[in-house]
Amino acid sequence: MGKYEYLALLGACVLITLPLEFVFRARVWRRPRRALRALVPVVVVFGIWDVIAIALGHWEFNPRFVTGVTLPPGLPIEELAFFLVIPLCGLLTYEAIKTLMRWFRGT
Amino acid sequence: MPAYPVFSVLAALAVIALELLWLRTGIFRRSAYWIAMVVVFAFMIPVDGWMSKVPDPIVIYDPSVLSGLRFPIDIPTEEFVYAFAMVTLALVLWERAGPRGESSRPRVRA
Repeated sequence: MGKYEYLALLGACVLITLPLEFVFRARVWRRPRRALRALVPVVVVFGIWDVIAIALGHWEFNPRFVTGVTLPPGLPIEELAFFLVIPLCGLLTYEAIKTLMRWFRGT
Repeated sequence: MPAYPVFSVLAALAVIALELLWLRTGIFRRSAYWIAMVVVFAFMIPVDGWMSKVPDPIVIYDPSVLSGLRFPIDIPTEEFVYAFAMVTLALVLWERAGPRGESSRPRVRA
């Protein structure tokens, strides 16, 4: 995997949580506008934090596992993907659990 | 004080304040939220464990910004606070963006 390892890990997170959308009727992917209203502020806030922390040298990315492609303010594309994928997994988990709880209640 | 745990705690407190003082979706009173957080943390262990595995991590931290606690595996423990802030922010905004009345019990006005 090499330089795509970080992206592949995030891709695996997307694939593993995808069944929640259908089996447990999470309906997050099918409500994209609502999802974006939840995700865009996360990308902005955590993206700014990330750019500053990287500039200050608080953390960096192993060049063996990232593409090296960076968006203008200094945000690696993998980090942009991270700030979308991980909260998305959280939304899918939350909605799936709501469905499960409705099933257990029999409603 | 090391920067990463300090800012993670501040981010978590800011998200809690956002919910309790402003958006008031009532998500902290929902058991689905707390169960979801447990599930997210459980899945975080293999994913973040892979990202922070010593000696071949994807993310390399300056040791001086970390608390020094690494548990479980090689995960800097403050990552769980960071993850709480990030995922809770998304869930609160998701509830807020939903149709009114569906997101939680009716809000009680003081």
